[in-house]
Parts: sequence; C-alpha cells; structure tokens
Amino acid sequence: MADCPKILSARFEEPDSHTLAVYESHGGYTALRKALTELDPDRVREEVKSAGLRGRGGAGFPTGVKWGFVPQNTGKKVYLLVNSDESEPGTFKDRYILDYDPHLMIEGAILSSFAIHSNDCFIYIRGEYGWLVDRVQAAVDEAYAKGYLGKNILGSGYDLEMIVHKGAGAYICGEETGLINSLEGRKGQPRIKPPFPAVVGFLDCPTIVNNVETVAAVPWIVNHGAAEYRKVGTEKSPGTKLFSLSGPVKRPGVYEVPLGLPLEDLIFGEDYGQGMRDGIELKACIPGGSSVPILTAEETLDVNLDYESLAEKGTMLGSGGCIVIGDDANMPELLKVLLRFYHHESCGQCTPCREGTGWLDELVGRLIDGRGRPNDLELIEKLCSGMAGLTICVLSDAAVMPTRSFIQKFRADFEALLPRTQQPEAYVPTTSAAELGRR
Amino acid sequence: MAKIIVDGKEHECEEGQNLFQAIKAAKGRPLPHFCYHPALPVAGVCRMCQVEIEGVPRPVIACNAQVKDGMEVRTETDRIADVVQQILNFHLLHHPVDCPVCDQAGECALQDQYMNYGLYEASVDVEDKIHKDKVKPIGELVMLDAERCVLCARCTRFTSEITKTHEMGIFNRGNHAEIDVAPGRTLDNNYSLNTVDLCPVGALTSRDFRFKRRVWWLENTPSVCAGCATGCNMTIDHSEGTVYRCRPRPNVEVNSYWMCDEGRLLYHRLHDEDRLRTPVVAAEEGPRTVDWDEAYARVQSLLTADGGETRRVAVIASAHATVEELHALGRFADGIGAAKIGYRLEGSEMGEADDLLVSADRTPNAEGARRLGWSQFLGEELRAQASSDTVLLVLKNDFAAFDENGVDLLSAYAGVVVLGTHQDATMDLADVGLPVLSYAESDGLFVNEKGRAQELHASIAGPESARHAVVVLAELGRLLGKEFGWEDPAALRRDLVATEAGWGALATGIDRTGVLLDVVSDGAAIGAESGSEGGGE
Repeated sequence: MADCPKILSARFEEPDSHTLAVYESHGGYTALRKALTELDPDRVREEVKSAGLRGRGGAGFPTGVKWGFVPQNTGKKVYLLVNSDESEPGTFKDRYILDYDPHLMIEGAILSSFAIHSNDCFIYIRGEYGWLVDRVQAAVDEAYAKGYLGKNILGSGYDLEMIVHKGAGAYICGEETGLINSLEGRKGQPRIKPPFPAVVGFLDCPTIVNNVETVAAVPWIVNHGAAEYRKVGTEKSPGTKLFSLSGPVKRPGVYEVPLGLPLEDLIFGEDYGQGMRDGIELKACIPGGSSVPILTAEETLDVNLDYESLAEKGTMLGSGGCIVIGDDANMPELLKVLLRFYHHESCGQCTPCREGTGWLDELVGRLIDGRGRPNDLELIEKLCSGMAGLTICVLSDAAVMPTRSFIQKFRADFEALLPRTQQPEAYVPTTSAAELGRR
Repeated sequence: MAKIIVDGKEHECEEGQNLFQAIKAAKGRPLPHFCYHPALPVAGVCRMCQVEIEGVPRPVIACNAQVKDGMEVRTETDRIADVVQQILNFHLLHHPVDCPVCDQAGECALQDQYMNYGLYEASVDVEDKIHKDKVKPIGELVMLDAERCVLCARCTRFTSEITKTHEMGIFNRGNHAEIDVAPGRTLDNNYSLNTVDLCPVGALTSRDFRFKRRVWWLENTPSVCAGCATGCNMTIDHSEGTVYRCRPRPNVEVNSYWMCDEGRLLYHRLHDEDRLRTPVVAAEEGPRTVDWDEAYARVQSLLTADGGETRRVAVIASAHATVEELHALGRFADGIGAAKIGYRLEGSEMGEADDLLVSADRTPNAEGARRLGWSQFLGEELRAQASSDTVLLVLKNDFAAFDENGVDLLSAYAGVVVLGTHQDATMDLADVGLPVLSYAESDGLFVNEKGRAQELHASIAGPESARHAVVVLAELGRLLGKEFGWEDPAALRRDLVATEAGWGALATGIDRTGVLLDVVSDGAAIGAESGSEGGGE
C-alpha cells in the first residue's frame, strides 16, 4: 500500500520527532494557522464531518456528528478531553503518537477545541504511561512558548488552555464518563446516561471526549480537505487507522493502514507483520482489542479491516488492537488472562458486571485447574446472557464478547477440560438420620 | 398529560415523569429494585428494574428513563423475568445468606425479591465467597455487615447528597467493592439511622434495635414525632405494649423520607424507670403511690379552703400536649373560671435548628397551643397568680426543670396538681401527681410550626393505671361539680371544629400527610388569649 498517505505515522521513525522543531520542519501547525486565519469553527467541524472521520477509541462514532451535539450559547464552558487512557489489552497505538509525535496530537486537539468552541482542553493520560506525561507536557510547554497555546493564539483572538493530567491507572477511566469522573477527582466510574457528556459532562458543562488518534487525524483533514481524506479507506470507513499488531508474527508493531485493508495483509503483508513466526500456524485473531469477539483463522483470512466488514463477521474494529493467536496457544488459558483483566478492572457499580466478571474468571480458572463441573459451559453462557447489554457501560459486554466467542468457536478446547466422569446427581444419604442420632 | 401502555393497559401520567414511578402508579406495586429511591439521585446500579420499551432493542432500567407520550412498556415478559432472575442471582452470589441470624430478615428486599422474582434453581457454586467486614460498628447507632451489602449506594448517596456529611463511601473496585466509613470517620451525624432505613438488606442495622424483636412481631402505628416543632411523620413499631423503634414515614410536605436520630430515639422515654405509672401524692418521705380514688380525694381537699369554700384554680398548659388535651384544658379552665397561665417558661425548650429537619423549638405542638389561644410565656403570670388561695393545675409541663426557683414559686400556691407522664422535676413538687397517657399512647393532633395539623394514633396502651388527660380533666371537672360531657379526644376534636375558628380544615377528615390549617395571625391569637378568661372564641 505504497500509495497510502501517512496521516498519523509520518514521523514515527524520524529522529527527535517529538520536538517542535522537527514537527514544524514537516509542516507542523500549518493546519492550525490555516484554521485560525482562513476558517471558522463551523467550517472545521463540517470538514471533519464530511471527511467521515470516526472515533478511533473503539466505538467508531462519527467525530463531526459528535461535535455537533455540543449545545451552543449555553453560557457554560465547553471542554475537550483527549482520551489518552489507552488500556485495552492488545492496544498500544496512542502511545506511539504521544511518544513520537505529541505535537500532532496537540495540534489536532487545538483544532478540535476550536471546532467545538472550547477554550479548555485536558489531555488525560493513563498513569502507567508516566514517561509519556513528561513527554507530552514538554511538547505542550513548547507549544505555549511558541504561541500555539494560551491567549490569542497566532493573533487570531482564539484562546486555549491545555492541561496534561495523569490518571491513576484504571481501565475504566478510558470510558468517557469514567474519565470525566476521574478528572473531576471522583472515583473513576462511568456515569449513567442520559445525559450524555456533550450536554452535561465535565463539571456539568458540555464536554467532548475524543481519542488521541481521532484528534491526530484532524490536522491532515484541515490541510488536505475532506475529499482527499475520503480517497483513502472505504466509503463508510474513510481514512487510515493505526493497528497495534501483536502475537507470534514476524514483525509485531504499530502500523498505519488504509481502512478496508484485508486483515490477511496486516498479518502477512511485507509492509506489516510479514507472516507468522516459523513453525507457528495462525489459529485465531482478535482484530480490535481484547473486548471484541475473536475470529477463527478462516474468518481472519476472509475479512477486511473496516467497521462494516468486521461487523459482518460478528466482531468489531474496536481500538485496532490486533492480537494474532498461533496454534501453540491454549484458548482457555488465553480467555482466563482476559477474564482476569476484566474482573480486576470492573469498577463494581453495576451488579451484573461486578459479580459476573469475577464469577466468569473463577469458572474458567476452575476449568483450567481440572476442577470444572459438567455443566460449566452452560453456566458460563447463562451468566453471559445476564451480563450483556444490561449495565451502565460496556465493560460487562467487553468481558462477555470474548468469553462467548472463544467458547463458541473453540468449544472443543473447552470441552476437553470438562470432567470425564459424570458427577453424582445428588447426595443420597446412606445412613439414616435415626442411625446418625445413635452414633 | 401523557399516555403510556404498561403491560397492555393504558395509563395516564405526566410527560417526562420518572418511568419507575409511572409504572409503580400504573401497576400498584413497584418494579423489583434495590438502588432506586425517590428522594436520592438515580444511581442505576442494581439493574433490577429492567423493562422492555417498544422500539428499544435492549431492556432499559426504568429508574433512569422518562415517560414519553405513547410509550409502550412491558414489565412481565419472559425476557424480563429471565434478566431479573439472573441479576438477582448475581446479587446473591457472594451474599452470606445468613437470614436466620440476620436482623433484617422479614423486611429484607433480597428476601422479598427472591420470593417474588427469583425462586430459581441456585447455580451459585463459588468455592469460597468473598469475605468482608462483619459486625463492624461504624457509628454509635449503626452496625455494618459488608458481606450482606448489595452496593446499592443508597447510604453513600444519603450521606453525600442529603446530610452532605460524606462519612461513607464505596471503597475498592469490582467484586471487592465495599461500603465503609472513610478512614478516621464515624457515622455520627444526627441522621445516621436513616441509612439503616435506606439499606434494603441487612448490611446496615440499627444498634438500637437489632436483635430486640423480629420484625414480623411488630405492629406499625402511624404517628408524628414529638421531638420538635417540625413534626416528622413516623411509624411507631411496637409489640405487646413495648415500643421497639420509630421510623420515618414519608411526607414530602414535612420530612421527605427522613427523621433525626434524636427524634426517633425519644421512644425510650416511654419505658423509662421514672415513668409515672400510678397516681402519687406528696408525703414526707417522698411521693407515695395511691389509687385514683385517693388521689382525687387529695385533690378535693386541696381545692377546699379551710373555711369550706372552693379555692381558685390556675392552669398551665403545654406545648407537649395534643390539640385535644389543650382544648379540653381550655374548656375546663373556662368552665370553672380558672386562670390560664401559659405553656412555656421564657426561653426554655429551645435549641439549635439544623438545615435539614430539626427545629429550634423542641416542642411538638407550640403552634397548636398558640392557635388555641394559650399565651406562650408563663413565668410572670405564674408569679402573679401565686397565692395560698389558688391551686395550680399543670398539664404535661415540666417547666420546673428549667427554673431553679420552681420550688419557691410553687410552694406559694395552696396546692399543685400535675397531670404528667414522668416523675420529673415538676412532678417532684406536686401535691398530687396523676399519670396520663403519652403522645404514643393516645390519639390526637399536633400542629407543626408551619401550621400543619397531623394525627397521632395510639400505639401501645401505656401504663395500666394511666388515663387519658382529657378523661382526667373531665373527672376533675366532676369534682368541682361541672359536667363537661366529653369522654375521649374524638369528642373534643368535634367540639373544636364546631366551636372554634381556624380549625375548619379538620372538618373533612385528615389524611396521613396531615392538613394545613388556615393562617392565623399572631395578633389575633394574642388578642384571644389575653387575660384569664379567654380560651379563644
């Protein structure tokens, strides 16, 4: 895919790519200058909307449409929160932007703030990315010094304050309302919706939460226009997407691919994963981060990387955390790893998730330890039906989707763990109560 | 107005109304729930009140939905039944199921909802349940068992949104989440026992009530708190002549769903050692227990001067007495030409108001007394009336407790007859003490500081020898050759409505939330009470 423009990853391999000097030498902040001098906020929003840019954090909601939900002239502040709480297992693409091109994210965040009439922007970075907090803070400082942030940016009269905030390390703070609670100093727990954050968000003000990768695509769209952006990708999934490729492939890493690329190409293509490691066959693939349903090898080789194609296969593009699984893997053990994660990360508010994630974790662990019961797979399915779609946020669903798809698609691997001998139906006392009384 | 269809039946409600409430009104019973509470912000965490809404693919929780005109809701489908059962199953997963030793048994939402919506084959087979704090006192009055908690967050929402004292929180995450008090804090605000009422399960129990009585033995009598002029509505829970606890009874006009700890613990006074259980007469060695005949004989002798003529009487009212008792006392005084002194010692029985419920006026019926024309302050008149020719009759008023000169003042009278409930400071100075029924033992009305008349209902019978104050007043009238003709408080209320201005609102009956009386200006009331004859017209 040599003709695919590098919208997000152009500078990942440049020396000192994180500095303002390198960013500017590659045309950095020209989109900002263009927007502030030639365009108005509505125009920026329209451009992003017609570019068809979709949220890259996992949900894939059209970004321009989301921005349009912000009510105008409410007299309240409007906030942009850049979600850098990247914590989905198998996903490590935002950290590349934060590490190697923080100014791209900053310029995108300024443009996005401008588009939604916000003068206050927070960059919420997960606690475990401690060194990236310093990295981004240094870049923000550079941008302030150069007049890209602060009062009267580039003489346009537009003001924007940007604050880098370090989270305390909870997956659930990546959920947008969990993030808002955390940023407000509350416990990181998702809020009940409605109201949605675009109307009542941070400090009860209209708030947009966008993923790092989403805002990072905005400068290119402003510079080149929506039409150019739409030339990449598919009709309904335009543009490029970063995929973090992991597992037993020859060249794991973060790749920018045009949406619609066959998943097979990402795993086997010369420019990307270059195929499975020697001696290992492809067994399965989780295409969009640990929360999405797994694909068998056959499905993996027959699907394209765009929102619609993956949905047709019953899975999702998600965050682009592509986890390749080889034939050496033990599926129940892999599932157990994921369930331990969701059990650990459930915030504990909603009963089905609080109790269900732990119970699933325990049941699968028990199977692996050889202490399973004959009807455990049915019990697991029953739990899943009581967890899916019944909670405030989708963490519960995120635990259910891998569980169901792992067991459905690799059932033999799980059945092999069930006890071979039938357990006694019920306890039948062999000694009468009267006899017991005599002893 | 909006129309919704609930399980096939049309129902009228307000557009935008909370759907949980609308369904409750439509079906006459609430959806299964733990976390929803009408006076707390919606948490939406127990996930029990799931319903299907036509056009919405997934079940939604009713507590966080609003009524839209034409909405079609289903609450009894197989899918909903299955979902609710499963969520109950989750709630019970790590619950200790220790009902036999749990004091909540009998009024536990987990028990009730399992019987209503559960009844499934238990699939719970975790090898070891998660263990959390048990029998942990988190405040002077509240005991925590975190294992029984369903994490509905009612208690934490109450302390953060209602009292704003923030003692409690949910700590840790996932299935290790548990409620507790914040480090270094105790649940010690004056509303702490509301968390026990709010707790749908046995996680928070009252240290005052737990293990005293299984709740299914309790009878529940609606009443009003006698602790201050707010008049919080409450339920008196009692059994076999003993009050075991008082709980707030919802009344959005008065106390919402709450009452203060101080008020709800007042019931202990009913059973105190110093409760006056029989008539007493003063004797050298202290009060001597007598029967009613002897007590009345003593009253008679006090009323009769050395020359054989009948002495004058002066009466003291009380802001602790009911409207009916005060009306009877007024009628009694007018009937025998007694001086009416007032109901409160200057500055007494006042405290600090808080910003939730507690009123600065710590008497329950000062407004009732005022409306009946009683002058408030009694000190000056008490002095003025004092003479060896006058017998003082006191109704339910312990003013001597607030005045160090009580002894001197009272000894200037020819005699002191006290109708009271306890052997208190005033009773100690009485020549004759007559045991009467308390607020918890008789029907009656209190008027709160906002002019709302609210009904008390007799819960327990009271001490065997105690009589209702209005009955005692009628009997005292007979001693003085005056037949009043009332036999119970109901007769006095009828008389009040028929003869006094300002009480007409009572004529059509009074429901459980009370009735707001017509506004009576201070000037009118003061005008009516002046002098010793007026009992209001």
